[in-house]
Amino acid sequence: MLFNSVHFVVFFLVVLSLNQALRRWPTAQKLMLLAASYYFYGQWEWHYLLLIWFSTITDYLIALRLPRSARPRRLVVLSVVVNLGFLAIFKYANWMIDTFNMSADAIGSAWHITPIDLLLPVGISFYTFQSLSYTIDVYRGVLPPRKNLFDYSLAVAFFPQIEAGPIVRAREFLSELDGDRSLDFGDVRYALVLIALGYAKKLVFADNLAQFADPVFDSPALFGFWDCLLAIYAFAFQIYCDFSGYTDIAIGCALLLGIRFPRNFDYPYASASLQEFWRRWHMTLSRWLRDYLYIPLGGNRKGPAHTYFNLVLTMLLGGLWHGASWNFVIWGGIHGGWLAIERATFGRFRWWGDDPGLAARFVRAILTFHVVCAAWVFFRAPDFAHAASMFRALSKPADALDASRLGALLFTVCGMFLLQQVGLRLHYKERLAGRGGIGFVLCIAIAILAMILFAPAKTVPFIYFQF
Amino acid sequence: MLRKLLLLAAPLLIVLALETLFRAGLWEPLARPDSHAGTSVRLKRMLTSADLTRVDYVTLGSSRPLYGLDHARIAASAHGRGFVHANLSMPGTHWMTIGALGRWLASHRPEVRGGIVALSIQDFSWPGNGSYELGIVQPFRAFFAVSDTMPYVPFDGSRIDTYGSRSALFEWREDVRDFARNPGKRLGTLRWYQRNRSSAQQLFANPESEGDMCAIGVTALSACDRTNDMDDGKSRQLAGQCELLRREATNRFDFRPAMASASPPERMARIRSGVERALRMLEWQETPVVVLMPVPALWKRDVLGRGQHEWARAVLQPLVDEGRIRVIDGTDFFSADSDGGCSAFFDFYHQNASGRERFTDWLLPQLETSRQ
Repeated sequence: MLFNSVHFVVFFLVVLSLNQALRRWPTAQKLMLLAASYYFYGQWEWHYLLLIWFSTITDYLIALRLPRSARPRRLVVLSVVVNLGFLAIFKYANWMIDTFNMSADAIGSAWHITPIDLLLPVGISFYTFQSLSYTIDVYRGVLPPRKNLFDYSLAVAFFPQIEAGPIVRAREFLSELDGDRSLDFGDVRYALVLIALGYAKKLVFADNLAQFADPVFDSPALFGFWDCLLAIYAFAFQIYCDFSGYTDIAIGCALLLGIRFPRNFDYPYASASLQEFWRRWHMTLSRWLRDYLYIPLGGNRKGPAHTYFNLVLTMLLGGLWHGASWNFVIWGGIHGGWLAIERATFGRFRWWGDDPGLAARFVRAILTFHVVCAAWVFFRAPDFAHAASMFRALSKPADALDASRLGALLFTVCGMFLLQQVGLRLHYKERLAGRGGIGFVLCIAIAILAMILFAPAKTVPFIYFQF
Repeated sequence: MLRKLLLLAAPLLIVLALETLFRAGLWEPLARPDSHAGTSVRLKRMLTSADLTRVDYVTLGSSRPLYGLDHARIAASAHGRGFVHANLSMPGTHWMTIGALGRWLASHRPEVRGGIVALSIQDFSWPGNGSYELGIVQPFRAFFAVSDTMPYVPFDGSRIDTYGSRSALFEWREDVRDFARNPGKRLGTLRWYQRNRSSAQQLFANPESEGDMCAIGVTALSACDRTNDMDDGKSRQLAGQCELLRREATNRFDFRPAMASASPPERMARIRSGVERALRMLEWQETPVVVLMPVPALWKRDVLGRGQHEWARAVLQPLVDEGRIRVIDGTDFFSADSDGGCSAFFDFYHQNASGRERFTDWLLPQLETSRQ
């Protein structure tokens, strides 16, 4: 079930009504949310509910046993193996087989493995990380094991987050579930602003920008310098509007159900360094990678060389988390490499330090944005050849820039880039939901009108659903 | 509590207010003048203009009568008898537009006493002409009359292009999107049309219609490939029509067995009720004259459904029997020509000036005798 479908809107209104009706019976309320979450996921492919149940019950039982176990490390390893095992089978098996077959071809071997016919379960990367965080936190002693299976099942399967995040750790979710879930009118307004802006970002901006980006990324050889440049910028904002739009809807829906999710985006293209970018882009993934991968690898505690290695390795694995393709590995490599360069050179110049001044910060934001854009080419291109073709087109002399392309360029780069810069300073979402009401009313009305008038006729699925 | 509810409802009320304004014609002055909806808006503006003091007779129909009838001669003939006959035919018009325009004329131009409804037997193939006809109807729709459109373009939740049958905002969205892409160009086009297109040109004159199919050499679907070698606008248009006709030709419906059946398929029942509904909306003093426009011979031979001509006559006959309409059937007017009529058409659908004059010579005396 897609967030951008009428089916979801009806489903959510029913769940919201039931949630309100059951507010005096918390257990019934939670069971209803769990049933609704399984229904939501089962609408896509109900067989894969078995996978979620297996993963949930395994981690639940392991966590229960952990505090009393003489060898807790073995149990955590079992949890990691089970969760990552599923991920490996469903997401990476065919990629590894393809890589093996290509290597065999390269050395002239006749050995080939037949690819497995498997459908990638929606959201597997997200709920695997959520589930893993639970057993690791219990192992570390920062979270007591949950005795109530239904509570933990809801933490794994809660429908606003299961398909594409945000990656809410079990301890965050469970403390929300246990805490005061009542809402005041300000919360309702904030949630509605998030949902309206989320839908507008997706349907009005992301889906229209896709019409610029898709044809060029599909056949870059047919296009010249400006079209390729435009497509890259368009994709940079498309993926932001698509993913942050999805997240806003998820956070808004969860809030209306009484669950507060952590923030996932904070004007990432206003970042003055890649390090800052990762504090503002897909923040829940960055935190997860930092706490469960980068720090356990040693973080920055073992000297500069080790730090750079950890950064690159973390980002390479982060890239691979997105999808089974060498392009994602290169994408992660670019981010990891640039993060290492930033760390090695940071503070050597005044403008490249903590307090660079407004102008230098703006120039650094432009530089960071272009590094991110260069990496997006690998992220979006279907394979390495297409990505290389994009860069070849950019290395050719620029063709004539006509008025419509100039307009599109000004809109995507200047308009949206500046909007990020301004948004970072104004915090408009909070302001719109704040006191007064005029801002709230206009925001929702304009968002609805923009969706009616400007959403393309063809619905485009959320980009992160494929991960 | 009331304030909170009002605050939550306010955005929806704003959207509803804008929907109401769009229904009332807020966007019409900005509509793209060369689009289907824009043509409709321009026609509406001419009909409501103070310059047009009265209209006694009208021609309603699609692009076939727009090109296939000599509107100047028809207007002059009416003028000779002291009447005003205006041509309201527009490309894309189908039964939905006939009905909505008939209803609109009854309330805004009640002096209209009669007229011609000119379509062709091809317009009996489907209940509607596709969702784009919603744009033509929109300026003439009654404020809350969903029934004007639903029988012809039913609402389909999975197809956003059908939402226009229920909402004016959705109906105008493609036009608004087009405006947003290049507002300067739109304003320039609007100014050009204001300066260069008069009511007289639209209502009482004939559009340009040069060329003939025989000269181009495309006289049959099998000859369509010739258009691939030509690179002018007309050939590209012909190539597009060829494509459309070839598609229709592969899926020819047979009306004959169903006509004999006691329970015809739903499609045919919907066509019949849609035609009847539209023609019953024409509450004129004089009996409306339904003119079935000529079609090139290849249409009947290769493209249209089998028995389609008989089917069209069968749909109209009960209304003829009731005395609601009179039918003048020109379908085969050019069929007896040795070239199959190709020299009378400039493309697969539309007559050229020569075809227009020959047909009007034949039609006009019949129209004059029908006028009381």
